[in-house]
Amino acid sequence: MISPADTLIHLLPEVIVAITGAVVIVADLVWKRPDHVRPGPRPWLAYLGIAGLAAAAVVTVAMAGRSAELFEGLVIIDPLTTFFRLLFLGIAAVVLLVAVDPLPRFTRWDAEFHALVLWCTLGHMLLASAGELFTIFLALQLTSLPLIVLIGYAKRDKRSGEAALKYLLLVLVSTAVLLYGMSFIYGSLGTSTVAEIGDLLAGMTTVEPVLALGLVLLLTGFAFKITAAPFHYWVPDVYQGAPTPVTAFMSVGSKFAGFALALRIIITGLHLPLNWHVIFGVMAALSMTIGNLGAIKQTDIKRLLAYSGIAQAGFLLIGIAALSESGVAALLFYTVAYGLANLAAFAAIIAFAQSTGSTALADYAGLGRRAPLTAFVLTVALLSLAGLPLMAGFVAKFHVFLQATQAGLVWLVAIGVANSVVSLYYYLRIVWQIYVAEGESAPLALPWRSGVAMGVCISGVLILGVYPEPMLTAAAHAASALFGK
Amino acid sequence: MIPGVLAALILIPLAGGIASSLVPRRTEGRARDVALVSSGATLGVALWLWVAFDRSRETMQFEFVREWIPGLGTGIHLGVDGLSLPMVLLTALLTFLATIASSKVSDQVRAYFSLLLILEAGLIGVFLALDLVLFYLFWEVVLIPMFFLIGIWGGERRTYASVKFFVYTLSGSLAMLAGIIALFLSTGGKTFDLIAIAPAAAALPVATQTAIFAAFAVALAVKIPIVPFHTWLPDAHVEAPTAVSVLLAGVLLKMGSYGFLRLGPQLLPEGFSQIAPTLALLGVISIVWGAAVALRQTDLKRLVAYSSISHMGYVMLGIASGTAAGMMGASIQMFSHGLIAGMSFLLVGALYERAHTREIEAFGGIVKVAPVLAGTLVFASFASAGLPGLSGFVGEFLVIVGSFPVFAPHAVIAAAAVVITCGYLLWMLREVVFGPLNAQHAEMPEMTGTEAASILPLGAACLAVGIFPQILEGVMRSSLDALVRALGG
Repeated sequence: MISPADTLIHLLPEVIVAITGAVVIVADLVWKRPDHVRPGPRPWLAYLGIAGLAAAAVVTVAMAGRSAELFEGLVIIDPLTTFFRLLFLGIAAVVLLVAVDPLPRFTRWDAEFHALVLWCTLGHMLLASAGELFTIFLALQLTSLPLIVLIGYAKRDKRSGEAALKYLLLVLVSTAVLLYGMSFIYGSLGTSTVAEIGDLLAGMTTVEPVLALGLVLLLTGFAFKITAAPFHYWVPDVYQGAPTPVTAFMSVGSKFAGFALALRIIITGLHLPLNWHVIFGVMAALSMTIGNLGAIKQTDIKRLLAYSGIAQAGFLLIGIAALSESGVAALLFYTVAYGLANLAAFAAIIAFAQSTGSTALADYAGLGRRAPLTAFVLTVALLSLAGLPLMAGFVAKFHVFLQATQAGLVWLVAIGVANSVVSLYYYLRIVWQIYVAEGESAPLALPWRSGVAMGVCISGVLILGVYPEPMLTAAAHAASALFGK
Repeated sequence: MIPGVLAALILIPLAGGIASSLVPRRTEGRARDVALVSSGATLGVALWLWVAFDRSRETMQFEFVREWIPGLGTGIHLGVDGLSLPMVLLTALLTFLATIASSKVSDQVRAYFSLLLILEAGLIGVFLALDLVLFYLFWEVVLIPMFFLIGIWGGERRTYASVKFFVYTLSGSLAMLAGIIALFLSTGGKTFDLIAIAPAAAALPVATQTAIFAAFAVALAVKIPIVPFHTWLPDAHVEAPTAVSVLLAGVLLKMGSYGFLRLGPQLLPEGFSQIAPTLALLGVISIVWGAAVALRQTDLKRLVAYSSISHMGYVMLGIASGTAAGMMGASIQMFSHGLIAGMSFLLVGALYERAHTREIEAFGGIVKVAPVLAGTLVFASFASAGLPGLSGFVGEFLVIVGSFPVFAPHAVIAAAAVVITCGYLLWMLREVVFGPLNAQHAEMPEMTGTEAASILPLGAACLAVGIFPQILEGVMRSSLDALVRALGG
């Protein structure tokens, strides 16, 4: 039995993030700016949020060695939780930083924006540690509701509102599906903790149709969250319509939260005499192929990255399809590599949109001369997403392919390799636009905060590409938590 | 022996590449000086290595081993032997000369030299890497600077050419990646180290070896390139700026043939033997096809490009023969073609700068106005045609002699194809160098000092190898013998 004080200490990172969100709002009320002042950026609010995130990260690292099951197994703290906590905290910090400059362009309610990002991150962190179906449900709501508001944050932009409405409908549908599935599982097995579900399923030789239906519905609910095909139709419109910092946030934070959750349920809970290799393999193959083919003809860079995100979810799913400890480790490494590269790319896109107001691919012509450093960052990020060597993306793809081959999924690796070639085509098209196509030549001044975010992320991409060992070890350690028993 | 000398061979150009991108914008011309110093230093180290190299040993020398990603079974392992040393020297020499020849580049100078040096680092890395993942990594690294060098500084159809180059070679190399992973897993999944994995790999069943080597062969064949994987080459060569064409033809193509030598006989001997007849056939087709198509070209650069396909066909045939003479011929031809192709592209570049055209018909009688330039072109063409006393002869002769016992009809056709080669070269010389002087070019300037500095060393090397092939043969002999033994010969 863990004492209440101990419980609180284990949840301290979450508590800090929750309080930071409140502090940001209160600070805004205390140092209110007069209504008639034309709103400019208020970086200190973002810095306050980042400081809270940093504090939470420090606490997380300090407690990294401790594992526990809180509230009778509703919340699980283990190395996997630690891994995802740090990942989500980092993502949120980058998003807050890059959002500072563009925020005044679409809203004057900046404090609430920061708070919503923080609380959404709280939901992500809880998802990574949820060990019981209804805790999962609550944590999911905690991520979805702030996100709906964030997507619709650009009040005057019709597309933003449209995207928010679409996402709202999606959340309603996927939540209904998820709850429906959970009720079947609870009804059949009489328990809602994932570990017990796993134990019960492991003893079964045949599965009742009702239970199977419940599991399938549960997985469908996650598939929406991780933007896997064939549950991806909402992605392009929502990604394109949302304010770009929010798109950046969703493209990594929300997606990885779905994966964090899926990992725990699938590895701990799904001991079933079904061929999960094939089920996830097919899902991965579909996501990669549909995402890549969709990306080819896009002319808007946000929409293109939305499709690329669907494809990347497919590559991540290969790690799940391997259903092995090293497969999960590969997936975890992939999340870091993808997260860094994608955030770097979005930071560059945000910086570019700040000066030009455009996200059209055609306007990137000549960027290589107009803003050499931003162009360089965007290029490295895209090449890493494509999986070229010397960048994190290569090690990630290599790792995933290796583990899938080891698990006997040669067909899936073949599809993955073919998809890498296809993806290179559209990533290169952007690089092409940046360096070769003729375009404007006036130098662009870009906000330095985006520069800092780009610098941090792209250094990470390059360091992980050249010296990935420490992160590989960390990922392997986190993965071992799921296979510990 | 200096430890880490091989790492230095990769790091010097890499550091030079970074340094030349950091030159201040106001003095961006300095980037070329940085590149000259850096590629010159690399050449110096390579020459020192050539001297210090122990010619009697067949195993790796100057090995450099460091831990890198033990979790995935891969580490940093560099080494040099008789197969790789000539390639390293060729890379260092051609990059240095290409830097000299790039004096006219004026657009984004810093980026140009930076990419050129990163390209050199990647190329040397490919030839030194003894870990399959590291090898693949350098293999891919080469693609990126090459893509930009063609795409940004290339000719009119540069977009098409660079994308085609990229897509072709990348598709090939992904097949290689699949092969590497398959090899790793089928040998127990412990290490990617080329030397450590070799005994287990060579003991694999024939079918497995064949399948894995077939995957390698696709990537390597695209790079060489042998017909029918060659269509990227003429476009890439024609659109690339002169210095880049030099490296493309001189060194990049050799990555393919070097890969056949490195990954074939000692790693997967059975697989190599199974596929060798196909490779020999494709090699001969390349020889004839390349030469025949060259006959019909009206563009000087395209002519040289197709002649490259033909010449690399000899390399393929020699390697596929698996005999001591054949492999020796192929290795000498690899080095020799690097010199000759380098010379030819530099000369075509010099002519283009003067006439602003590469149409063969637009020239005529240039020997009357620029005898040194014309004479060098005649020399390069004779070297390309395989005139005895020049390096091309040694390579092609040995390939024909070496492949005759194994693939007699192929060898006969390869020998006969020399006639076609002479045909297009002599026709080209008649049109360009001799005949009536085209009045437009009456004022054509003679070879400049910069041009001489980049072209003449190649001519001298070509002559030296032609007269004293022992220079190369001595370095290659032990390692090639080991390859032949591994094939059971």
